Amino acid sequence: MSVAFPYTIGVKLQSDPDVIPAMRKFISEALQVSGFSAKFAFRTEIIVDAVCNNAIIYGNESNADSEVEVSCKVHEDRVEVVVKDRGGSVENIERLKEAVNCSKPEGPLADDSEPAGMGLEIVKLLSETIELDVDENNLTSIRVVRKREDTA
Amino acid sequence: MNNNALVMEISSDEVSSEVAVLKITGFLDFSGIAMLSGFFGKITAENKNYLIVDLAGVEMICSAALGEFMGYRKKLADKGGNLVFAGLAGAIRSKLTLLGANKIFSFYHDVRGAINAYKWDYKKQSKSITVSFPPFLKLVPPVRQLVSRLARQNGYSTKDAFRIETIVDEVCNNAVEHGLGDPGSEIVLRLSIDKEKVELNVTNQSDPEKISTLRELIKPAVQSDHVGDDDKRGRGLALIRMLSNNMDVKITERGTSVHVVKLREEQQ
Repeated sequence: MSVAFPYTIGVKLQSDPDVIPAMRKFISEALQVSGFSAKFAFRTEIIVDAVCNNAIIYGNESNADSEVEVSCKVHEDRVEVVVKDRGGSVENIERLKEAVNCSKPEGPLADDSEPAGMGLEIVKLLSETIELDVDENNLTSIRVVRKREDTA
Repeated sequence: MNNNALVMEISSDEVSSEVAVLKITGFLDFSGIAMLSGFFGKITAENKNYLIVDLAGVEMICSAALGEFMGYRKKLADKGGNLVFAGLAGAIRSKLTLLGANKIFSFYHDVRGAINAYKWDYKKQSKSITVSFPPFLKLVPPVRQLVSRLARQNGYSTKDAFRIETIVDEVCNNAVEHGLGDPGSEIVLRLSIDKEKVELNVTNQSDPEKISTLRELIKPAVQSDHVGDDDKRGRGLALIRMLSNNMDVKITERGTSVHVVKLREEQQ
């Protein structure tokens, strides 16, 4: 059976950055077998990598037992990536809000060494929309939409 | 205060009763040896046998200090523990590698990485990942590749990883073929991996029309690894049984669950 759009793949992983390379490859390969180009898949990989690294390092902080939930809803013309984490400290959440809500960078990337800075700038460049949701328990969820720009 | 002044502190974050994190910043030259020995004494007094030395803020380490680390590492190793380095900046890491320190000490990107390694190596803690996907055959190869990569990344040999991959392929293909084909349903694979074994649990929603066939199908495969030459059905389960150390299949009206245990065969 070929794939039928839309469909969702989900990954729950422990807060171990070492798992991210294998996980991003998995999403990339799933996109490619679904007819997306290698370029689209690779750029989505970069988005997944950046958002998941932020979730593990800043969202779940040093708590290796906390999980990060990644959901990837694949449509015929776009992909929606949602990454949920435990939220982290108030400072980290504020910094994340600032990084998500500031306007899309134009021209060369700023030399930004702040956490959750450079990674999200790249995500913004590669995506259509990026939204942040923080619930009353500080659980953080980032939703990124990337539109298909070419055919395989 | 001088920017290069040596500062040492034991992290107050309680990782485990056996683990100490010693954070060092500044220039660790000959004059810092006494301070270092003092901290080693404190750590010994607290009965902590696994020391993570966070060197992220260190600008220089003299060879005498490296010798001190080697001596203390030997003491900890004799008690079944270890001393590892975390957060090494590029230049310091290069110099220590040139000195061959990487053959004695394990280097980790950050303290968290060192803690994860401690949990893996010493506490035999397993790592787990859960993947859910719709029942499309095309998605099985990416799933098997994911599991294979994780096995190899965690030190399993290529042969072991390939066998695990083959098991995943068979179990997931069966889930797609014999489970509910509705694109809205999902197959859930949970992988748990430790130093000695991999455990897989694959669940899917049952297709009411296929349950009786499936029940018949698993009988010979579960009871025996021999499949007749003419019996094409059930070969996948026989293969899983042959490649794994334990397999358990549960079929209910709601869902099918396959649990497989595969012991690590080769050490790298």
